[in-house]
Amino acid sequence: MLKFALRNLLSRSLRSFLCLMGLTIAIAGMVGLFSIAGGLEETVSQTFGKITGIVAMQPGAPIPLFSRIPRSWGKEISQIPGVAIVNPEIWSRVNIIEGKPVISPPRFLFGTELPSRLQLKKGIYRDAIYAGRFLSLQDQGTLNAVISRQIAEQHHKQVGDTIDINGQEMTVVGLYECGSLLLDIAIILDIEVVREITRFDSESVSCFYIEQTGDVKNELLVNQIKDHFRDRELASWQPASLALASASQSNLLKDLMNTIDQTLKGTPTQRPEEQPDSAVRKIPNQTGKMNAKTVKPAQAESALEVRSAADWGDRLETFTADLDIFLGLMTGIGVLIAMLSIINTMLMSVMERIVDFGILKANGWSNRDVMLLITAESSLLGILGGVLGGILGLVAIFIVNWKFANQVHLYASPGLLLFGLVFSTFLGISGGLYPAWWTTRMTPIDAIRRG
Amino acid sequence: MRSESGHEMIEVRNVTKIHQSGETEVHALQGVCCQFPGQAFSFILGPSGSGKSTLLYLMGALDLPSSGEIYVQNRALSTLNQTERDTYRREKVGFVFQNFNLLRNLNALENVLAPFLPQGISIEQKQRAEDLLKQVGLGHRILHRPNQLSGGEQQRVAIARALLKRPLLILADEPTGELDTQTGAEIFQCLREMSEQYQTTVVIVTHDERYIRESDFILRLRDGKIAEDNAINL
Repeated sequence: MLKFALRNLLSRSLRSFLCLMGLTIAIAGMVGLFSIAGGLEETVSQTFGKITGIVAMQPGAPIPLFSRIPRSWGKEISQIPGVAIVNPEIWSRVNIIEGKPVISPPRFLFGTELPSRLQLKKGIYRDAIYAGRFLSLQDQGTLNAVISRQIAEQHHKQVGDTIDINGQEMTVVGLYECGSLLLDIAIILDIEVVREITRFDSESVSCFYIEQTGDVKNELLVNQIKDHFRDRELASWQPASLALASASQSNLLKDLMNTIDQTLKGTPTQRPEEQPDSAVRKIPNQTGKMNAKTVKPAQAESALEVRSAADWGDRLETFTADLDIFLGLMTGIGVLIAMLSIINTMLMSVMERIVDFGILKANGWSNRDVMLLITAESSLLGILGGVLGGILGLVAIFIVNWKFANQVHLYASPGLLLFGLVFSTFLGISGGLYPAWWTTRMTPIDAIRRG
Repeated sequence: MRSESGHEMIEVRNVTKIHQSGETEVHALQGVCCQFPGQAFSFILGPSGSGKSTLLYLMGALDLPSSGEIYVQNRALSTLNQTERDTYRREKVGFVFQNFNLLRNLNALENVLAPFLPQGISIEQKQRAEDLLKQVGLGHRILHRPNQLSGGEQQRVAIARALLKRPLLILADEPTGELDTQTGAEIFQCLREMSEQYQTTVVIVTHDERYIRESDFILRLRDGKIAEDNAINL
């Protein structure tokens, strides 16, 4: 039966080919689009899977680059049970490398306190050195830097070369490769050198990287650190637009930006003047009268945001789940076109072969047998479209990853490829069902007489 | 010429068939009653539009009569459900059409085996199909496709296809209509030999009376009614 179905497809080779191409491109598009989310997920797992410690930074700051917290808090954190090492970090964006402006991919100066960094049991960058060496205590106060393979290859640098970053001549003492787009962006130097170059406030750092002793559970340790800083004064990080709006006491833009900011942070908007002075607060009932009711006071927010790698991963996974919906909608359009193409191809093919089906029925083929033959033909198109679409998608992903190695990372998992194949087969089968059903409406002799 | 076999294979009882052509009703058969003897050659003759092919197709369960009944070996075809009708066509009846009706994507051997493709082809069936093709003189054309065969060869393939199932009945609709005189004679010779060898009842619709023999049974139709017959009247 399959051999017969294949011959039928081959007998209309051009039409079958065009239909196959429509399906192939739709599946390749689907693989390509979902590989964006797949790449993001893989980058996240590659990145955060390597980070065993936790990061403390300014509440509301999306990444350490935007965070500013008092330098002195590091000592306090180190006193909390369960904390082994606290490593202060300063992050700053690099604007110019070797006289060329840096736009994409971004590069960052990463200043780390070397004595504590070198005590870490697991240092992501230190463990990823593949040429030269990591920074040592002798590198304090010097412009000795460790850079990633990406940066080195982009600017044709090797260990021992100098590299001009933001107008500073730095000596490359080591090269690392973490294999993650989120990590291989840092130019690592002594923290005080970065502070001086970037004119970073002498009493602040971007964040603290905290390595645990392992005696206290991660979640508990995170809460303990947060609780420790719950009564401290530290302004939440605000986007620049929000800071501008804050200049005026009250206006529409400010309210809008506040709302957006609070929505993003997931906390309700509440103006300072609306804060209750005591635990007793008046709330309106349904009739609008004010009743006195005891309300538990809201717990003061911590002045530190403490995140484990799992937290970061969860946040990004939520984002990729949302991205999947969007990509699914986009893919849906292509898939719908492919399905219509299959239905059209099969319907045309069936209408041309009405006599053949009449002959087959006259020779004892049942309606079910004829339907099976037609769906076998469309399924073959579906399976082949799935295989070719998967291959085409993989080739496209390979080319994109190779051509834009520093900017993007796409990844099509075996699961995605399998889904593409199964989905394509499903499309093939369902695309052949209507034409197959159409043939059952005629008696054998009606079908033969059409010829 | 009357039946001398005394063994009735097919009985047609008061069969009518009305085709709907738009809003017009075409009365293809109007109360036809007759019997066809078993293991013999029968001819249905008549001018175009007399209802010959319609009657043939009704006997083959390719279509349903508007009224009346057709019995094959004392079983009313109208009592067969869809599956039984498919089985009847696959196992009991072989069709030979005017324009051969071979499947162009299959070679001669596969065309002969076509009725059994959904069930899967056994080695025995394949061997029998090859033997049949050799018997009808196509041993050297087994793997040729229909477009590589002449009209006569294609009709021989159709005869082999009809015979593979060892049918009770072969229904042939103008089997020589598209063949020259010599090839037509060869096809009739082939049909007669096979019919004799396999003891099959053959009913043929034709305009061409040159191939009729004295011992054959003849039914003449005109305007959907029996004009004359030497078959067994009810």
